Amino acid sequence: MTQALDTRWFDPARWNVLIGILFFAAFLAVNIIRARSGSNLYVRPIAGLEALDEAIGRATEMGRSVLYVPGLSDMTEVGTFAAITILYRLAQRVAEMGCDLDVPCYDPVVMTVLDGAVREAYSKAGRPDAFRPGSVHYVSAQQFAYVAAVNGYMLRERPAANIYMGSFYAESLLLAETGALTGAIQIAGTDKVTQLPFFVCACDYTLLGEELFAASAYLGKEPIQLATIIAQDWAKALAAAAVVLALALATAGHTGLTTWLKIG
Amino acid sequence: MRRGPLLVTFLTGIAVAALFFIPNYKAQAVNSKLLEWTLVVYAFALILGSVSLWNSHARKVKNRSPGWGFSLVTLVSLLVITTLGIWKGVEEKSPVGQIYNTVNSPLASTMFALLAFVIASAAFRAFRARSLEATLLLATAVVMMIGRVSIGEVISHHLPGITEWLLDVPNLAAKRAIAIGVGLGAVSTALKIILGIEQSYLGKS
Repeated sequence: MTQALDTRWFDPARWNVLIGILFFAAFLAVNIIRARSGSNLYVRPIAGLEALDEAIGRATEMGRSVLYVPGLSDMTEVGTFAAITILYRLAQRVAEMGCDLDVPCYDPVVMTVLDGAVREAYSKAGRPDAFRPGSVHYVSAQQFAYVAAVNGYMLRERPAANIYMGSFYAESLLLAETGALTGAIQIAGTDKVTQLPFFVCACDYTLLGEELFAASAYLGKEPIQLATIIAQDWAKALAAAAVVLALALATAGHTGLTTWLKIG
Repeated sequence: MRRGPLLVTFLTGIAVAALFFIPNYKAQAVNSKLLEWTLVVYAFALILGSVSLWNSHARKVKNRSPGWGFSLVTLVSLLVITTLGIWKGVEEKSPVGQIYNTVNSPLASTMFALLAFVIASAAFRAFRARSLEATLLLATAVVMMIGRVSIGEVISHHLPGITEWLLDVPNLAAKRAIAIGVGLGAVSTALKIILGIEQSYLGKS
């Protein structure tokens, strides 16, 4: 028996997602207008990001490198984009302070993008000559071969700061625990909820969930970028209100909103 | 100069986002084709990756950097596996397949098995009662560990129920709260990239 081909041009089960995205886009537009008009956009301090300067400064004083691990996902993961944007800001600080940076990569496409971003960051910092070719390099597309190589690097070279940003899986604790053994200052951030406890245990600072996505804007401090964080917070407030309302209605026996909020 | 890549990003981003809402088989065929293109890009990037791997390790061997012997093993392995793969193929019975099953897989399993030891050492560090939060973590962990094994039910028949409640109520609530934040953060990042607000992946702030 052959399955009938779907000829619909819109999936009605995804109205909720579309409305959510439209709300988000509206929040973004409002906050970009606020930013352009010079409004003061406050973003709460994030300890893990405040510590990045301290970590780079420590590496510079000790004459050791900064190790940046951009996660084990490819360019289809938003977490990888977050890792790229954070590295761009971080590389500028590293170039300004004049310490060495090492970025081992799991995915060759990500490596190519990161290499370009780091080169540009060094140029923007006014130190294109300080960029070391090969500082962004490919290791392996096998999870545990990658872990073995990065752990070996940590134990041999003893980087002063280990920064893990992006999407991580079972390797998160293997990396972070080895880094902790070397005494390096460790800052992590991931969008994988199941790996967060491991980073919290083994790292000095951990960016929880959405903080990873806010990091680039936070480090850049450009008003338009900060506007995106405020829009994110407004959307979170709306999501929380929708959850509370759905809960109250469900308790009263009306489950319509609960059903509608489920993503089809 | 960067308008071209930004335009490609915008159009592709909008198209892929729209395809999420369009179940039409023709649209989904386009989606599948786009995903196939990523494989082509990956294949070319893999060549760049291999060159990067070679250069990185060749430099270490040449400079006699710490651990250069490992780099030599990597270079020899890269050459041997590539040559054997081209010459004899990569099927399960081929030399590459056999090396993969008898060398690579056990090594990967060994690395994975180390996870048990690092969990123990990380738990030892995390479970020290230095503050109120750490003490709460320690107490919860003790209840969880005892409640999930057979002896837990012998100590108290309430313990398995308590562990289930801890997992299903406070733990799940916190996990979902973080997951909602992650979801919104992902949408925010995707919109920033599609709209060209975030351009650092192109090497521009």
